[in-house]
Amino acid sequence: MAIRPDDPNEIDMSNLAPNTAGPAGIEEVAPIVRMVGIEKHFNNVAVLKGVNLDIRPGEVHVLLGENGAGKSTLMKILTGIHEPTGGEIVLDGVSHPLVTPREASEAGISIIYQELSVINELSALENLFVGRLPVKRRLGVPVVDWKLMETEARSIIGRLGLGGLDLHKPVGEMPIAHRQIIEIAKSLMKNVRVLVMDEPTSSLTSVETERLFALVRQLKAEGTAVLFISHKLDEVREIGDTFSVLKDGVSTGHGRIADYTNDDLVRMMVGRVVKQRFLAEGSIDRTSMPVLKVENVTSADRKRVRDVSFEVHHGEVLGFAGLVGSGRTDLMNCLFGAERRAGGRIILNGADITPNNPVEAVKSGMAYLTENRRQTGFTPNFTIEGNIAVTKSVKDAPLRGTWGLVDRKAERAVAEEQRRQLSIRCAGIDQSILELSGGNQQKVLVGKWMSIAPSVIIFDEPTRGIDVGAKSQIHEIIRALANAGKAVIMVSSELPEILAVCDRVAVFRNGRIMDTLDGATATEESILSVAMRDGK
Amino acid sequence: MSQRVKLGKLWDIYGTLCILLVIVVLFSALSPTYFTRPENIVQIFLQSSITIMIALGEFFPILIAGIDLSVGSVLALTGMITAQLMVAGFDPTLAVLIGGVGGGLALGAVNGLLVNFTGLHPFIITLGTNAIFRGVTMIISGASPVFGFSYDFVDTVTGFVGFVPVPVIFALSFAAVLWFFTAKTRLGRNIYAVGGNKESAFYSGIDVKLHTLIVFMISGLCAGLAGVLSIARLGAAEPAAGTGFETYAIAAVIIGGTSFFGGKGRIPSVVIGGLIIGTINNGLNILRVPTFYQLVVMGGLIISAVALDRLIARMR
Repeated sequence: MAIRPDDPNEIDMSNLAPNTAGPAGIEEVAPIVRMVGIEKHFNNVAVLKGVNLDIRPGEVHVLLGENGAGKSTLMKILTGIHEPTGGEIVLDGVSHPLVTPREASEAGISIIYQELSVINELSALENLFVGRLPVKRRLGVPVVDWKLMETEARSIIGRLGLGGLDLHKPVGEMPIAHRQIIEIAKSLMKNVRVLVMDEPTSSLTSVETERLFALVRQLKAEGTAVLFISHKLDEVREIGDTFSVLKDGVSTGHGRIADYTNDDLVRMMVGRVVKQRFLAEGSIDRTSMPVLKVENVTSADRKRVRDVSFEVHHGEVLGFAGLVGSGRTDLMNCLFGAERRAGGRIILNGADITPNNPVEAVKSGMAYLTENRRQTGFTPNFTIEGNIAVTKSVKDAPLRGTWGLVDRKAERAVAEEQRRQLSIRCAGIDQSILELSGGNQQKVLVGKWMSIAPSVIIFDEPTRGIDVGAKSQIHEIIRALANAGKAVIMVSSELPEILAVCDRVAVFRNGRIMDTLDGATATEESILSVAMRDGK
Repeated sequence: MSQRVKLGKLWDIYGTLCILLVIVVLFSALSPTYFTRPENIVQIFLQSSITIMIALGEFFPILIAGIDLSVGSVLALTGMITAQLMVAGFDPTLAVLIGGVGGGLALGAVNGLLVNFTGLHPFIITLGTNAIFRGVTMIISGASPVFGFSYDFVDTVTGFVGFVPVPVIFALSFAAVLWFFTAKTRLGRNIYAVGGNKESAFYSGIDVKLHTLIVFMISGLCAGLAGVLSIARLGAAEPAAGTGFETYAIAAVIIGGTSFFGGKGRIPSVVIGGLIIGTINNGLNILRVPTFYQLVVMGGLIISAVALDRLIARMR
């Protein structure tokens, strides 16, 4: 479905002076894109039921809505991938019943998906010019004009504040933030006037996010319209000017962000007030024996995790904050026996349960919701039932979880119970997990671990890429587990989430806990200052 | 929409059978007098039994997104060991247990352990062991066939129960056991989990290395039992037996709708996949297509059968 790059001749023709908007007040500027009463049906199921959206130059417009509200469908109509069933799209004052990918591209609409579309094996340079490599003639033979590419790329990448980037390195070896910037640069080279960004910050650290925001502000100042899709309200408030909310395919609100509180926005998205903070209600007794005690855990390479010790008390959620790459996930892998250790002990209620591999970890009642749903989380060829039942089956069965027959009836009961308790939205537990939204997939994975009634639960980025409603539900589960006397550990790169859920925050840097802060008094600034102490 | 989903599920289960029926109808039309005779139908099953046996084993490595290229050599080596044991005076049952069952499991374990310890793709490991096992077969036999073993053994294995040949009964009942294994046991289900996503299986507490080992041992066992069937049918253990059989086994598994990417496939469809290969072979023989042309037609039919399957799978 890739939009084919245009002929160079046509780019010139469609380049309709993007900067004519001038400094006039935002409200008066005519929208570049106006979507009116957009409807879309798939197999007689209405996904969009009359949605309106105005995008003006020099403005960051935020599109809010839960997973499944219809945001992606709307974007696909805007970029010409889907045909709308009803409504009209007005581009620069000209009405279109539908937009083709070519028209969208000529009008300067460009989208950056959450799953980046750069080709990891190619260099930054090749990615920027993919499909339209410039050629020159040498002895009559056309050859790639690397010099021209390099000069053009340098100027654009420099504009985005990444002047020092090695343009010849394969993109796959770069951090995600850099790949994203390359993707933005690709859009800029096509004279973008409307840049759509679908959850661009979901895999960025807070520092990288700040850098991205600086870039978005720069584009805005240059007169580009930015349509920003995000679930993170604090972020939305920081970067956005105006907003629209979608709920179940209907526009439920729009306006200037500054005129509304976060609670207002959430109410428009979810239809109810969502609780924001989940800290322990009473005080936590830290004098008695801890539920979980971790002593001197070191990874096999003695680098990524170095001599880490901590305790988790009854009723407490311990958070791990820190930059991406600081070794938090490596520590969790070491605790769960998924990674080799050079040493260390894990003591649950006074008993040594140090697991040598995940099989032993599961058997002794540890649960580990891993960071990456797709890669290490779910089993794509299994139904909801299969995904939930697998851990319990392993835990119950002798011979390393391999012996015995599958008890379908019992497993269905377990899966049904988790579906009910976590209110997983699905057609039934026989549905394939691939057909669920991200939030519901995550709930299935939570259910998979809840079904073994674990005593130690590690949540690594439990709400990455899922919507507000599902998020607060998962936070509630985390709190309920802590209240039930389980040892709960949560790793998160989203500081608001850490502050909302954790009673104590261990700040991780270079494989060590640098400091442990009290959750009630910690702030994003105090955590970051520890995470980045010594300038690193 | 739900109707389309149902159709898709039905195709998953009965698709391979439909392909078999199409091929049967085709050959019946081309050879109305001979092809459909009951003796010939029995003959097709008999000719397919060794392919089915090997394909049943090959199914498992493919199910975990791997492959076993050594099945042909395992067949030859286990057959050779069994034959030599019988010639040396061992009781045929004991010889089959040591050579066919034990040998098959052991050679499979060699594959599995190598895959686990080196971390290399099974394609590379079994490409290597395929040559090694064949070489060992040549060495222990001096590259000449071994025959002159017990008539009782040959008679039993090539006999009939009613009108059904023993190898057919053997292959089909073994298929039934494996079907039960994949569908009802924890071990079987865990193998599907490993095939779907090794990493998430690992983090769920499934011992991926143990399952990889078991998968290759099953493959070895099936090839070992096929080795026993093969020496009985030929009345001799040929050092070159089973050369190229891995192609037929893989073809049967893939025609049976098993995904090369792992985690998807069914034992009954693999049996039908094996029957399709056998039917094509048989039909071409009856039509007196010369051997060299048979190869060409066979290759073309394999590609068409799988292409058709995927086309229909995509349409839903």
